[in-house]
Amino acid sequence: MKKMIQPIFQRYWNPYVVLLVAGILSSVYFGLTSTVWAITGEFTRLGGDLLQLFGVDISSWQYFEMVHLKGTTWSRPDGWIVWGMFSGALIMVLLSNNFKIRLPQQKRRYVQGLMGGIVAGFGARLALGCNLAAFFTGVPQFSIHSWIFIVATGIGTFFGAKLTKTRWWKGRPTLTRGAKRPSKVQKRIIQPYVGGAIAILYIGLMIYFFVTGQKLLGLGALFGLAFGILIERGQICFTSAFRDLFLVGRSIMAKAIIAGMALSSVLTVIIIAVYDLTPITQIAALSTFVGGTLFGLGIVMASGCETGMMYRLMEGQVLFLPVFAGNIIGATFLAYAWDHLGIYHVLVKNGTKINLLDSIGPIGAITATLAMLGVLYALTMNLEKRYHRNLSLKKGMNVNAN
Amino acid sequence: MQTDKDVAFTLDLRGESCPYPVIYTLEALEGMNNGDLLQVITDCPGSFRNVPEEALAHGYTFAQDPVKNGQEYLFYIYA
Repeated sequence: MKKMIQPIFQRYWNPYVVLLVAGILSSVYFGLTSTVWAITGEFTRLGGDLLQLFGVDISSWQYFEMVHLKGTTWSRPDGWIVWGMFSGALIMVLLSNNFKIRLPQQKRRYVQGLMGGIVAGFGARLALGCNLAAFFTGVPQFSIHSWIFIVATGIGTFFGAKLTKTRWWKGRPTLTRGAKRPSKVQKRIIQPYVGGAIAILYIGLMIYFFVTGQKLLGLGALFGLAFGILIERGQICFTSAFRDLFLVGRSIMAKAIIAGMALSSVLTVIIIAVYDLTPITQIAALSTFVGGTLFGLGIVMASGCETGMMYRLMEGQVLFLPVFAGNIIGATFLAYAWDHLGIYHVLVKNGTKINLLDSIGPIGAITATLAMLGVLYALTMNLEKRYHRNLSLKKGMNVNAN
Repeated sequence: MQTDKDVAFTLDLRGESCPYPVIYTLEALEGMNNGDLLQVITDCPGSFRNVPEEALAHGYTFAQDPVKNGQEYLFYIYA
């Protein structure tokens, strides 16, 4: 069995290793810049940029003020995190000769992707972060809003998985009799050369940022590139972490993410103590819970979250074009609804910023965080076991019936 | 290829994104007669890993090693 899957393991990196490295890098990035690895805030700003391009006056929208909509995406470090991730993923896809235009056979996927993308984009920004700032990099900042977000995302994903299982949603696979010919393989391999050329250009750009003293842009570009390389090589899919537990009893991604967050939390508490930094705390309110639930549902509908969407789009999975568009539409609509439709008053106003470091000190905060991650780990193991117990019961009944 | 003759059914998943390759593969295997051979053709990179791993975890066996064919993979699984 090991021999059989080994060639595949050689292609992609172990998710545990990838997420532990990502955990370390995100702590270091925080130490260097006092900001975290995050992307949906920038998606909202992109939406704002587009609105301005079409002549919409957004100067009075509170949400854009809150996310500091200034300059262009090329002059914002958060912008370079996003474009760096796209670039890193694309370079890796090309170097491994794995780019291919992949068009879904089931046309319904485009609609599902767009709808899911909108719901996930809206939910993420309502909760003030996706599974990065309100999850993978939110927990290590000891911001309580990320704890609420995790529970809510789990609930949303559960219902998303239920939806995925219905026939009208998943569609029917077409089985054909006998063997079928695989696609013709192109003899001339050019993708790695293109990937190498893009890599050289990108490195040149980073050098330019550092040499001209634009340190924050350079760091954004550098860490964005690293995160892009990591998520593509590890095929890191936050959507599958919860979803596949419910769908097929698969736990590896959830466990690797928990391990990465644990390491990142320990490192971050040390960095905060040594360099006397202020952790990034977001408001915890009803909006966190509602947003997290919508986000969990949306990412399953779309088959990918804002992070996973990025490398899949670079692999040529066309499905993720409507998902990307949906993410930006959803985030921008939330920015509109924030003050124009009273979302802030109903869901956010009564919330407070709670940080464990302030309320119970560094020792208490890291102990509580590790305990919470331990409980998550145990729950994951339990769900996996329960799935396989039910499966063997089902199989046993089939044997008896035969 | 020797196994080609023994293939009872083929599931062509090219273009489908995760999680549908896994769901479809397990569903197809469940609906087939015990011991029949299923050929799976897939090009979603996530499925290069989760399809074989979940087929094994669900108690199915492989007729041969996965075949890498350019940007896609071929799997041969006994129902």
